[in-house]
Amino acid sequence: MDILTAVINALIFLALAPFFEGVIRRLYARVQSRKGPPLIQPYLDLLKLLGKETLSAGNWAFRIAPMMALASIITVVSIMPLGYRAGYLTQYGDIITVIYLLMLGGVSVLLGALSSKNTYAMLGASREMVTMIMIEPVLAMTLILGALKAKSLAIDASLSSSLNGAYGISMVLMLVVFLMALQAFVARQPFDIAEAEVEIMEGPFIEYSGPGLALFKYYMMIKQMFYAALFAAVFVPLVNTGYYIVDVAVQLVEILAVFVLISLLGSTNPRLRIDQAVKYYAVLIFASLAAVGLTAYGI
Amino acid sequence: MSDLYGKLILAMAILLCSAVVVPFIAEKRKLAGWLNFIFVAVAGAILLSISYSVIFVKSLPSRLVSVGPLDIYFLLDGFSGFFLGIISLMAIVSAFYSIEYMEHYGDYGLRSYYANYPIFVLGMAGIVTVDDLTTGFSIAWQAMTITSYFLVRFEHRKKEIVKAANKYLVLMELAWLFIVIAALAAGSSMGDSVHSVTRLIGETGGALPYLIYGLVFLGFGFKAAVFPFGQMWLPDAHSIAPSPISALLSGVMIKTGVYGIIRSFFWMVPHSDTFHFSGAFWGALIASFGVVTLFIGTVQSMKQSQSKRLLAYSSIGQVGYIIFGIGAALFMVNAESAALKMLGLIALVGVVYHILNHAVFKGLLFLTSGSVLYSTGTKDLNRLGGLINLMPVTAFVAGIASLSISGVPPFSGFVSKWTLVSTSLLAGSEVLFLVIFGIVALFTSAVTLACYVKFFGMTFTSAGAEWGVGREVREVPAGMLIPKLFLTALCLLQGLIPFFYFQTIIGIFAGSGGSLISAAFRNLNVQGHVFNSAMGVSVGIPGLSAVSSIAVPAVLLAVFAAAFVVVAFLRKSGGSKEREVPTWLCGYQDLHDKNRYRDKSMFAALKNLLYWTGGNVKE
Repeated sequence: MDILTAVINALIFLALAPFFEGVIRRLYARVQSRKGPPLIQPYLDLLKLLGKETLSAGNWAFRIAPMMALASIITVVSIMPLGYRAGYLTQYGDIITVIYLLMLGGVSVLLGALSSKNTYAMLGASREMVTMIMIEPVLAMTLILGALKAKSLAIDASLSSSLNGAYGISMVLMLVVFLMALQAFVARQPFDIAEAEVEIMEGPFIEYSGPGLALFKYYMMIKQMFYAALFAAVFVPLVNTGYYIVDVAVQLVEILAVFVLISLLGSTNPRLRIDQAVKYYAVLIFASLAAVGLTAYGI
Repeated sequence: MSDLYGKLILAMAILLCSAVVVPFIAEKRKLAGWLNFIFVAVAGAILLSISYSVIFVKSLPSRLVSVGPLDIYFLLDGFSGFFLGIISLMAIVSAFYSIEYMEHYGDYGLRSYYANYPIFVLGMAGIVTVDDLTTGFSIAWQAMTITSYFLVRFEHRKKEIVKAANKYLVLMELAWLFIVIAALAAGSSMGDSVHSVTRLIGETGGALPYLIYGLVFLGFGFKAAVFPFGQMWLPDAHSIAPSPISALLSGVMIKTGVYGIIRSFFWMVPHSDTFHFSGAFWGALIASFGVVTLFIGTVQSMKQSQSKRLLAYSSIGQVGYIIFGIGAALFMVNAESAALKMLGLIALVGVVYHILNHAVFKGLLFLTSGSVLYSTGTKDLNRLGGLINLMPVTAFVAGIASLSISGVPPFSGFVSKWTLVSTSLLAGSEVLFLVIFGIVALFTSAVTLACYVKFFGMTFTSAGAEWGVGREVREVPAGMLIPKLFLTALCLLQGLIPFFYFQTIIGIFAGSGGSLISAAFRNLNVQGHVFNSAMGVSVGIPGLSAVSSIAVPAVLLAVFAAAFVVVAFLRKSGGSKEREVPTWLCGYQDLHDKNRYRDKSMFAALKNLLYWTGGNVKE
C-alpha cells in the first residue's frame, strides 16, 4: 500500500497538470475578452505533438534533454507528499535533495537549449539560468523555514510545520515573499523572461518540435503544479482529517485557487526585462533571509 | 605488519630515482613518458598499499626516521593515509595521461618536465606524512613548491607564463615562512615533532596562541587558496600549467593546505587545564573565510571565458566549501550542546568526503579541458562549441564531471555538499549564522551549476568550433581517454554508495589518535546516527526527530531511471519520425560566426549585479 502512494502521487500530477494548464489558458482568454480553448485543450496538444515529426539538431544531448527534464520532475513529485501523507519514497530524500533534483530539471532545459545551437535558445538559456540562480534561494528558504520550525530536514516534517501549530510572523513574511516569487517559479508574466514567446520565440524551446516539445511542455505543466502544491501545503494548512482522499481533494481545490491567482496575475502584468527582474529577486532573497532569521528566534 | 615507514622511504627513493633517470632519455618523448609512468606507478602502488593498511588495518604512531644525514619525524595515521591515497592515485592517473598529452608541446623539450614531476609528487607525499613544522616540513614544502614552479612555467618562452609562475613561487615561499615562523614562535626547535609543538603551545598564554594559529591558518590558507589569498596566484598558475599538472595542482596540491589546516586545528591543540583553546572563535573565523571563498570564487568562475581559468576559479570555490565545513565543524565540536557536537563530527566527514570528490572530478575536468586543448589548440570558450559529435567520449566524461561538481543527485558532489549544507542547517535551530552560511552554500551551488552549464555548453554543445578552430577536430587517442574513463567510474561510484565512504571516513578519524575528536568519533554510533539504508546516509540526532535528514542517491537513481523509461516510451508512442535540419533563425539568416551567442552575453544580468565580486573579464 505504501509503495502505491508514490505511484498515486505521481499519477495525480501527471493526470491533472494539463488540466490546470487549461484553466490558466481559459482564464487568460477571459481576462482578455476572448472565449478561450476548452479545458482539455492541453491534453490534445500533447497528444498531437507526440505524433508529429521531430526536427533534430543531430546530437544526443538534444535528444535526451526533454526526457531528462520530465523524468526529473516525475521523481520530484513522487517523493513529494500530497495531502500531508508521506509516501513510500518520501523517506529517501530530504528538502536539500528536492532542491537539487529541481535543479536537474532546470539543467535539462539548459542542456536542450544549448545543444540546439540556436542563438535565441542560448539567449533564453542564459536568462533561464539567471532566473534559476536568483529564485532558487527563495524556494530553499521556504523549505528551510519549515525545517527550522520542525527541527528536521525531512520533507514531510518541513511541509507540515505550519499545519502542526506555529504560524508566526516569519511564516507570514515568507508567504508574502513566496507570492511575489510565484510567477517566477511558474515562468508566467511578468517573469516569463526566458521563454518570452513574442520576443525570443519560446527561447530554450525554439528548436524543439514533436515529442521533444511535448515532453518539455509536460515538464513545465507539472513543474507549475508542483509549485502550486507546495504553496498550498506550506502556507494554507486548512485541514488534516486523516482521510487520504479528503486531504488530497482539499489540497487539489487549493491548488486550483493558486492557479486562478497565477492566471489573474499573469494576464494583467507586462513582462519585465531580465535586469529589472534580477534586482527584484535580490530584494526577495533578502526578505526571505529575514524570515529565516526571525524563525531562528522563534518569531 | 611490515615496516610501513620503510616502505614510505622506499617509494620516495623510487620517485627520486625516476627524476634522475628519465630526463636522460627525454629526447625519446613517448619512451620517457612510459618510463616516468612506470616509476610513478610503482611508487604510487607502494604508497597506496601504505594508505590502505593505515586506513583499514591500523594507524601508526609518529616515529623518528633517519633519512640520509637527517632525522625526521614521520606520521602514518589514517588521516595522512587518506591524503597519501588521493595524491598517489591522481599522480598515477596524470602520469599516464602525460604520455600522450605532452606530445602536443612539440617545440618544448621534456627534460625538465620529467625531472620535476616525480619530485613534485614526492613533495606532496612528504607534506602529508612529515610530523614537524620545521625541518621535514620545509624539505617537503620546498620539494613541492620549487618543482611545481618549474612545471607551471613549462612553456617558458611565453613572458606572461613566466611572470605568473614567479608570482606563484614568491607567494608559496611567503606561505612557508608564515608556517615556520609560527612553529618557531611556539618555541619549537628545528625538527621537533608536532606533538612537542603542541605541548609548547600549551605552555604559552595571552595573545601568543592567537598569533601562532593565525600564522598557521594564513600559511596553509595561501596554499589552500582561501579568499583573498587564493585569487592572487591560483587562477594564473593553474590555468597556464600543462593540463595533467593543473589536474594535480587543483585536485591534490591545494588539498595539502587543507590537510595542514585540519591537522593544526584538530590535532595541534593542547589538552590541559591551564590552556584554553578558543575553538569557537577559530571555527567561526574559518567558516566565515570559507563562505566568502566559496561565494566569491564560484561567482568569479562564472565570469571567465577561458576553460582552464573557469576551472581554476571554481577550484577556489570548491575549496571554499571544504574550508567552510572545517570551520563549521570546529565551531560545533567545541560547542556545549551534544547535538551540535555530533553535527560537527558529521560535517567533518562531509569535509573529507568533499576533498575526495573534488580531487576526482576536478582532476577529471582539467584532463577534459586538456583533451579539448590538445584537439583544438584553444582554451577560449568563444572559439569552441559543438564538439559533442566530434569528441563524443570526452563530451560524455565532461558531462558526468560537470553534473558531479554541480552537486546534482545522484552524482558525487551531491552527498558531500548535502552533508555540509544539511549539518549547518540542522545546527541552525541553535546557531543562526550557520543557517545563513548554509543558505549561501546552497545558493552558490546554483552558481556552480551555471559555471558548468557554460563550460559544457560552450565547449561541447552550441556551435563555434567550425569557425573558431582552424583545423580538423578529432577525438583524443586512447591513452588520454583511459585515465578519464577510470576517473569517471570512480566519480560515479562515489556518488552512488556514500555509506561506504562515510563509514571509511569515520574509521579514519576514529583511528587517528591524538586529535580533539578521535574519541568522539569512536563513540559515534554508526548504526544509531548515520545509518545505512539502501547505501544512502542519514543523520539522526538524539533529542530531535528520529530522522533529521537523509540522502539516498541509489534510490533516487532507481526512481529517476523508472521515470526515464516511462518517458522514453511516451516519446516513442506517437511513432514520430526524426529528421536532421539546420538551425532556424526565423528564416532571415543561417547560423554563422557573426550571429552566434558569445560568452560576453552569457548571464550578463547576473554578472552586472555581481560586478563588485571582482575577477571580471575585460573585453
